[in-house]
Amino acid sequence: MITRFLAAIAGLTLVAATCTDVAAQSPSRAPILSGPLAKLDIKDAQIQTAKGKPQGTLTIAQHFGLDPGWLDPLEHGYAITQMTYDYLVHDAMIKPMPQGEFTYSLAEQAEMTADFLKAAFRLRPGLKFHDGQPLTTADVKWTYENFKGFYSKLFRDKLEHIQVVDDRTIIFHFKQPFLEFMDLYNGGVSGIGWIVPRHYYEKVGRDGFKAHPIGAGPYKFVSQQAGVQMVFEAWGEYWRRTPATKTIVVKGISQLAARVAGLETGELDLAFGMTGKLLPRVMQDKNLRWVPNYTSVWYLMFPGYNEPDSPFHDKRVRQAVSLAINRQFLARQESQGIGKVWGNWISPENRDAVKGDGTELPLPEFNPEKAKQMLAQTKFPNGFDFEWYVPFVPYLDMGERVVTDLRAVGIRGKLQAVEGPAFRAKIGQGRKGYPGNRTIVQNIDPRPGGAQAPISVYAVCGSPASFVCEPPIEELWAKHQTSRNPEERDRLIKAIQKVLIEEYYMVPMYWNPFVHVVGPRVLPEGKGFERYWDTLHAPYPWPWEVWEVKADK
Amino acid sequence: MRRYILVRALYSLVTLWLLVTIIFGMVRLTGDPIQMKGEVGADPVYLEEIKKRWGLDKALHQQYASFIGKLLQGDFGHSFEKSLSVRDIYFERLPNSLKLGLAAFVISIVLGVPLGMLSALRVNTWWDNVGKMIALVGLSMPGFFVGMVLIIIFGIELGWLPVLGKGGSALVWGSPSTWLTFWFRDWLHLIMPAFALGWYFSGAMLRITRSGMLDVLGSDYIKLVRLKGVPERMVVAKHALKNSMIPVLTFAGLNLLIMVNVAVVIEVIFNWPGVGQLLYDGLSNRDFPMVQGVVLMSGLMIVMLNFTIDVLYGYVDPRIRLSR
Repeated sequence: MITRFLAAIAGLTLVAATCTDVAAQSPSRAPILSGPLAKLDIKDAQIQTAKGKPQGTLTIAQHFGLDPGWLDPLEHGYAITQMTYDYLVHDAMIKPMPQGEFTYSLAEQAEMTADFLKAAFRLRPGLKFHDGQPLTTADVKWTYENFKGFYSKLFRDKLEHIQVVDDRTIIFHFKQPFLEFMDLYNGGVSGIGWIVPRHYYEKVGRDGFKAHPIGAGPYKFVSQQAGVQMVFEAWGEYWRRTPATKTIVVKGISQLAARVAGLETGELDLAFGMTGKLLPRVMQDKNLRWVPNYTSVWYLMFPGYNEPDSPFHDKRVRQAVSLAINRQFLARQESQGIGKVWGNWISPENRDAVKGDGTELPLPEFNPEKAKQMLAQTKFPNGFDFEWYVPFVPYLDMGERVVTDLRAVGIRGKLQAVEGPAFRAKIGQGRKGYPGNRTIVQNIDPRPGGAQAPISVYAVCGSPASFVCEPPIEELWAKHQTSRNPEERDRLIKAIQKVLIEEYYMVPMYWNPFVHVVGPRVLPEGKGFERYWDTLHAPYPWPWEVWEVKADK
Repeated sequence: MRRYILVRALYSLVTLWLLVTIIFGMVRLTGDPIQMKGEVGADPVYLEEIKKRWGLDKALHQQYASFIGKLLQGDFGHSFEKSLSVRDIYFERLPNSLKLGLAAFVISIVLGVPLGMLSALRVNTWWDNVGKMIALVGLSMPGFFVGMVLIIIFGIELGWLPVLGKGGSALVWGSPSTWLTFWFRDWLHLIMPAFALGWYFSGAMLRITRSGMLDVLGSDYIKLVRLKGVPERMVVAKHALKNSMIPVLTFAGLNLLIMVNVAVVIEVIFNWPGVGQLLYDGLSNRDFPMVQGVVLMSGLMIVMLNFTIDVLYGYVDPRIRLSR
């Protein structure tokens, strides 16, 4: 009886503690802007008031050589990997968090006028950088004005002026309606919303900042060996919560085998990008745990398909290609079956993506006989030779499997194995990157910014990397670009996706798992660690302040 | 002699200039680094800004002049990929490569030279066959294979040795206390990569020591020494060994430079942060300044070694300096 009573008391205490520890912050919000406002769906930050003591070391393997440039948001590229370091050292006005793709972070309030000509933010009170200096709207303004990264021209061109109302309130005035502003200013899409300390940056300069950055994020930068290792330490004064892990060490390890060996020996606690032949080894190891971490969809494109002498000019040929691919087998070989056959080339994590699971777009069919029948109706009843199948590097095995499937229905071609930089350089030129018009390109692109982002790159005529240029799509795209109605914009983007799939301009294969693995030091033990991957549309387990590990021995 | 040294120095400078010029041109044939940095779909204006920042918007001859001008001031430029000064990154990595290279060098000497001598002294016996077999295995088993086998056995299965990196110690040029301690810490991290790297070279050392010893042991002056009744131990230690070591040491010096500068595969497998990995990353990412810097420094070491050897030869053998 006494035991039950004590247990009940303990339970109630735990519930009470949980309620006080984590609270969604909903400050009273006096309006900043006057007149009608656009509807924004930005979630409140969850602030954990109870301060625990950070403990232990989390050693992470990044699957590239580390670039000190990643520590500088002012030169933020499109590369999503950089955001891993943003989430460590810096903080953004709004950013993706587990509770939503748009979540208040440094800002506690954001507004946008209904005509999309003004955007305003109010910073939460008492913010500061790692060196103790206050973070104010002057830093926000300076960051915007000095941003040189991806989308910088767009942000510059659209801006009329920035009005600093006070230390916590700032208003951006635009020359013309800037509908995408909140999408692009979000920390999950570009670097401009990650706030850099003006006083420090001007003092140490660009190189000095990259060598030893400071920010307002949960972890303070400690040291680095360029390309090899970076060390970060918990910053106890982070506004949202005290980070749970004391030290985070990131190592640049490009070789998959080395990452697997490091996990098996316990030298690593978290590694990214497990795939292919080594994936079963990781899955069978009792000391390791893994998450599928679905990111983007593998798909095929046909550069030059719209030229009349291309065999892929005929929709039925493109359809035959799609019918010939045994996607289930591919997913089993490449990802031990955890990859999901998918009917759209855009990841369903994008809020404006059309679902490719059979509900909104059909699951692609594997039917070699039907593929042969389709070909028989074309100019190529006995099949044809195409020039090259260019697989995404280094997934050459997958490329071989697709080439074999295609050969089985009479579509015969060779695999062109190029190295990574050459592949990226070619695909960056779009159709122009591939001579002739008998090539199939295999791609994957975990691009932030919603479905409109990959469409704007690969599927509209004006893009430097355009592979698809079709009048019906251009018409829809032009409407989308001029529309101020968010619902209409979503509708138009979905219509474009349907055209791309139904006409087989893009041939999706499967939704790729970018498998991540953790070692035994990561808490909680057993199940439950998957919560670190709760942030939507994040290929990495952000935010870092919630990661818990066992104390160092 | 002075004239001889000056001429050799001039040759060395010309060699270095040629190397610098060739690498400047060759690296630009490998592709466009802007596409690498800008990624797919990047705004052309953004790409232009990067191009300008990296100085690639200028004409080739202007880029070359700027490169040579900076080089004369000891500035190798800024890494495209790692965003910091190439010189700083290179000198941060060099001690790691020296540590690995020296350890591998010692292993190759300790294994290769005694076994080579033994093979030569016991020629066509069981000992010689074992030596030849070791040399064959050493030369035919690539370092990456040896490295992987070591990782599986000693790292994963037995758990005796760490498999990644060089440990926490670092030689920091601005911190004299690390200049000495660096070399004696984290030995466990060094064992496998040093062995995997030194293994191949030990096979080569064994072969060259054996053939050098056999040549010397068959020479007339050794026959004379033996006829004089000098004990065999003295014949080997005092007369044969010394003379047979000249090609071995020349070869060993070059090996050391190779081990320090181009241990790319071993560095990648063990994630050892040396200059070889810098070169690999630089080439993979079209990082022109990094490739230029690393190749130039490697070339500089080789040119300096050759210059030193030439000068020493000149001192030792007057015929050489008089003939040139």
